Amino acid sequence: MERLLITGIAGGQGRLVAKRVADSFAVSGVDRAPWEGHPDHITVHTMDLRKKKFEDIFRRERPSAVVHLAFVRHFRADPMVRHEINVAGTKRLLECCATYGVKKLVVLSSSYVYGALPESPYYMDEDTALNVSRHYPDIRDLAEVDTLCNTFLWKYPDIATAILRPVPTLGYYVHNSIGGYLKLRYVPTIMGFNPMTQFLHEEDLAEAIGRTLETGIRGIFNVTGPGAVPLKVAIRETGGIAVPLPEPIARNTIDSLFRLGLYHLPPGAIDFVKYPCTIDGRRFREATNFQPLFTLEEIFSSVRH
Amino acid sequence: MAKTSKTPTSERPARRRRTPRGVVGTGGILMHDEPGGRILLDDPDSPENDDLQPSLDPGEQVAHSLDALSDLAGGILQSLAPRLIRDLDHELRERIRNSPIELNSFGYDPWGFNPDVARRTLLLFALVYRYYFRVQTSGLEHLPAGRMLVIPNHAGQIALDAGMIAIATVLDADPARPLRGMGEYWLPTIPFFNVFMARVGGVVGTPKNARDILEHGEAVIAFPEGVRGMSKPFAQRYQLQEFGYGFMRLALETTTPIVPVAVVGSEEQAISVGNIKPLADLLGMPAFPILLNYFPLPVRYHLYFGEPMEFRGNANDEDEVIGKKVEQVKARIHGMIQEGLRRRRNWFF
Repeated sequence: MERLLITGIAGGQGRLVAKRVADSFAVSGVDRAPWEGHPDHITVHTMDLRKKKFEDIFRRERPSAVVHLAFVRHFRADPMVRHEINVAGTKRLLECCATYGVKKLVVLSSSYVYGALPESPYYMDEDTALNVSRHYPDIRDLAEVDTLCNTFLWKYPDIATAILRPVPTLGYYVHNSIGGYLKLRYVPTIMGFNPMTQFLHEEDLAEAIGRTLETGIRGIFNVTGPGAVPLKVAIRETGGIAVPLPEPIARNTIDSLFRLGLYHLPPGAIDFVKYPCTIDGRRFREATNFQPLFTLEEIFSSVRH
Repeated sequence: MAKTSKTPTSERPARRRRTPRGVVGTGGILMHDEPGGRILLDDPDSPENDDLQPSLDPGEQVAHSLDALSDLAGGILQSLAPRLIRDLDHELRERIRNSPIELNSFGYDPWGFNPDVARRTLLLFALVYRYYFRVQTSGLEHLPAGRMLVIPNHAGQIALDAGMIAIATVLDADPARPLRGMGEYWLPTIPFFNVFMARVGGVVGTPKNARDILEHGEAVIAFPEGVRGMSKPFAQRYQLQEFGYGFMRLALETTTPIVPVAVVGSEEQAISVGNIKPLADLLGMPAFPILLNYFPLPVRYHLYFGEPMEFRGNANDEDEVIGKKVEQVKARIHGMIQEGLRRRRNWFF
């Protein structure tokens, strides 16, 4: 059985991926946080990617496949630490993959790297520039990680590197910004804006990662779910009440609250609730025959409070 | 019909209408024309009219009462509206429903088109179409099934010609073909307008959007003359201005038939005696025309839809090659305009 290493295995998405591939791989995982009560057949190392001992896992276990999910996507951490874990951590992992003969690498990027710009086309394909740093510099490290892996993809043609850029993912297990936003009772929106937004269920994303490993595809792939709806439909369907705020008020309030640590998102995130950031998932579907199982209704009901 | 190709976005079989959920909540959109239906459930963005909820928090109560109020107001307006308007509304609804546009289960297409918002907008233009400009339309039987680029002349200082063509393809074409428009890159930054634009079928005119929408089998309208045509002075009426080449490259790239359209009547709706270019530049407007009448005259519009023109070739050919093809379209529209002018008795009839 092939050995698979999952970084960030204790997170919601990590656990779902581990469950999805447990039958076809000997799974081990690494995470900064422990996974209490993990299944016996999965080995979990509680460790930081930046620690020296991390390389020992590769020396000892010699995984032939790696799924990289260990990213800090929230803003509760010190920005320096966040950048170091995301960029330096990924660099470290890539070096290990090259040194210890990993054959398949799957990296979970996101559709956010394209940015939400007024002049962006709908349904952007994988060749679109990563524009997020223009309006949302706080998450440029995620665009850097994506680019770093892209370089790795071309530098090591023998390693099947797949960079997945899924649309906003919702579900019971994953905890992310969009999920937190939609779980609010009163959801702040920008007055006069209501962008089309795509969603994907966490189990479908786990399935997509599983298929990426099974097919051994190489390249960059957008991963899309069952479709798009205006943001306010998503808010309504997840049981929230949209509270439209005039943009200057929203920007200043969110900026102040974020500085004081009272709100979890920086003002750069506002553009994602103003302009659409929709992507074209054809390439991935054609390569893997992936079809999302969960409908929009089911996705929304999975985060309803 | 138009469903020849898959786009990224037709991600699962579209349902034409939202399925009823629960006993009372019929799920607003498109449901209100059912026999004995509830005409109040009209707004796709209003919260679900769910079963009586036992415990509501204050915010929700406020939201619900506001909805109830606006529903009531809408209902009263609806019942007060003259029969003529209600009938026209009904006709538009039926025709949009039977058009080949695919909607998801929430009533939106991949680019944010929503038939309810579109219908309310079209209603206003439809009244103008039938009773103010009394538009006479011919040649709609030429419309091909599937994707097409509708290319008309552009005139009249205010782009009412676009509205009249859009109504013609919904009210008088079989099946109805709601037109998709391509907008400027900065339009999405305007609050409210950007949402409205998407709901009635507009998108930013990037090459990718244009390709996707055509490959999805939609009908796209483009004015190759742009502002040059719309803002020209009265003395130059019915003289076609320079055509842009973008539409031809797009047609070649996607092998889309071009439907030439001649609009006769639009030039006389507003009489322009000049254009204050410096003031327009200062205000950041495309033109600042001096008009004799700022309210359009009740002229009669005549729309002539020509037979589709098919072009083949390399979309990346140099301008000279593309220009020859563009000239053919321009010549066809010119001929149709001249024919229309010959047949017209006067401005108003």
